[in-house]
Amino acid sequence: MFNQNFLVFLGFFQDLIKYKNIYVYPIIVGVIIGCLAPLIGSVIVIRRLSFIADTLSHFSLAGVCFGVLLAHQLADTVFENTISPIALGIVFSVIGTLLIEKLRSFYKNYKELSMPIVMSFGAALSGIFIALSGDSSSNITSSLLFGSISIVELKDFIVILVMSLIIIIFIVIFYKKIITLCFDETFAKVSGINVKLLQLLITIILAVFISISMEIVGVLLISSLMIVPVASSILVGKSFKNTCIISVIFSEVSILLGIYFSYTLSVPTGSLIVIFNIVILLFIMIYRNLIKCFKKKNTKQLDYSITIDPNTINENVDEVTEINEEDKEIVKEENLENKE
Amino acid sequence: MRIKVNDLSFSYGQKTILNHLSFSINTGDFLTITGKNGSGKSTFIKCLLKLHKIPNGMIYMDDVDINEIKKYHNIGYVPQKAEFNYEFPITVKEILSTAYQQRTYDQFYKSIVSSLNLNKFYNENINNLSGGQLQRLFIARALLIKPRLLILDEPTVGIDQENVNNLYQILKQLKNEKITIILITHDQEFAKDLYDHLLHLDEDTNYTFTTIGDDKNV
Ligand SMILES: Nc1ncnc2c1ncn2[C@@H]1O[C@H](COP(=O)(O)OP(=O)(O)O)[C@@H](O)[C@H]1O
Ligand SMILES: [Mg+2]
Repeated sequence: MFNQNFLVFLGFFQDLIKYKNIYVYPIIVGVIIGCLAPLIGSVIVIRRLSFIADTLSHFSLAGVCFGVLLAHQLADTVFENTISPIALGIVFSVIGTLLIEKLRSFYKNYKELSMPIVMSFGAALSGIFIALSGDSSSNITSSLLFGSISIVELKDFIVILVMSLIIIIFIVIFYKKIITLCFDETFAKVSGINVKLLQLLITIILAVFISISMEIVGVLLISSLMIVPVASSILVGKSFKNTCIISVIFSEVSILLGIYFSYTLSVPTGSLIVIFNIVILLFIMIYRNLIKCFKKKNTKQLDYSITIDPNTINENVDEVTEINEEDKEIVKEENLENKE
Repeated sequence: MRIKVNDLSFSYGQKTILNHLSFSINTGDFLTITGKNGSGKSTFIKCLLKLHKIPNGMIYMDDVDINEIKKYHNIGYVPQKAEFNYEFPITVKEILSTAYQQRTYDQFYKSIVSSLNLNKFYNENINNLSGGQLQRLFIARALLIKPRLLILDEPTVGIDQENVNNLYQILKQLKNEKITIILITHDQEFAKDLYDHLLHLDEDTNYTFTTIGDDKNV
């Protein structure tokens, strides 16, 4: 049993060396996406944009399918190798962003109506493009829906690298403004941040990111790729930076495990990545509950005369003056525990 | 910043809150707004900051209709109740350093942090702060953007006496620097010697606007 596993493991690395571009590109792309996904995901979680992410991924899918169709039509011509489905996916998802904005202006009270419209429009177009390309093998469809590591080609690889660089530069330049906007829109507005423009830029960056991560994780799973690691990390994070770092670690672990097992088990990469992410989330939840139970038990054993909810104490540390000295010690201990 | 309010009326649905309000203040003036709960003090501020939509021609800043202003610059606003995103972990330090657009940790930054006694919980997650501590954090954040106009909506609520005194000193300093300040307060005694104008709002949408100096000795 162990030997067999080991052989598979070895085989993976042998193939890695032998078919460099087939496996190295996806792994590099995976590592980049694994880092960017939770960073963008934090913004999505805070600004409650996950529905936009889903909408854009469906519209971006139409672009990718259009690319597949074009590539098919242009086969055996001079343009044969110029079409990058990912690049078209990026173009489409940016168009989708603008479309959502445009549609929103038509409705005062039903602004979110624009999302399902654009989403279904994208899905419908995708279906048509796939059918027209004549190559409607379930293979392509399944990799677009659930992701696959084997479809990253050199030209897509370059597009992904360039776009990731642009996203990173954007984050570095605007991170202060993004964080300020995320946490307090009113303050951002009056203090001099162009909220509308920044919001549009964030959405475009989101659209670009969705397109570049689509081939690896698939349309259906992109938003969970961004959100689940953040959902885990906010349960344990102490500061914003700390939370982001933890989410990147969770995300990278899931992506690398996902790629590896996708290779060995021939299961869609995106599915596995999301499953690993969710397993991590479960562990974190169990860990949190254990800590809570442990604390309760501890409190009981020492038989404090008063019961103190550590949460409320933490909020009012300054105001616990009425409690006598002995109880103050308890409060301090509890706080220390909390910090650990 | 010059502010001119010209016949401003505002209502929530049928309920009229502000009725034909008119007054103006000059750059560097200190305006205090008083009035009972529900008299429309916060509502006025929200109109001023375009958080509520109002028709053209009602409020001017530096002689420009606020509806013509594309985006505000350097207005420091401490709301009565900040609509802050509390669920995501973030520390005091992170909020302040991201609000501050210059290079962080210079002398100005440090002086703001220490003048409001934020050092003690500087690295704390904001979920662990008391109401008064949060309020001081938001005041510091508003000061860090080097405001041309500072708006404080009941800033002293929940803050202990020592820090109220610190806030008074800060306001005094800002007034010397000719920063325009609008202060909403219930505490009639707070910063009494600083204000140039007093706007008192009634529940029945009446108001009185008095300028100190015109009638200080009356
Ligand atoms: N968003 C709102 N929608 C409807 N009514 C509101 C809203 N905000 C405030 N009010 C009402 O308007 C009145 C004035 O509120 P506000 O300006 O907050 O008073 P103040 O700040 O002077 O205490 C109150 O009666 C309040 O109930
Ligand atoms: Mg109020």
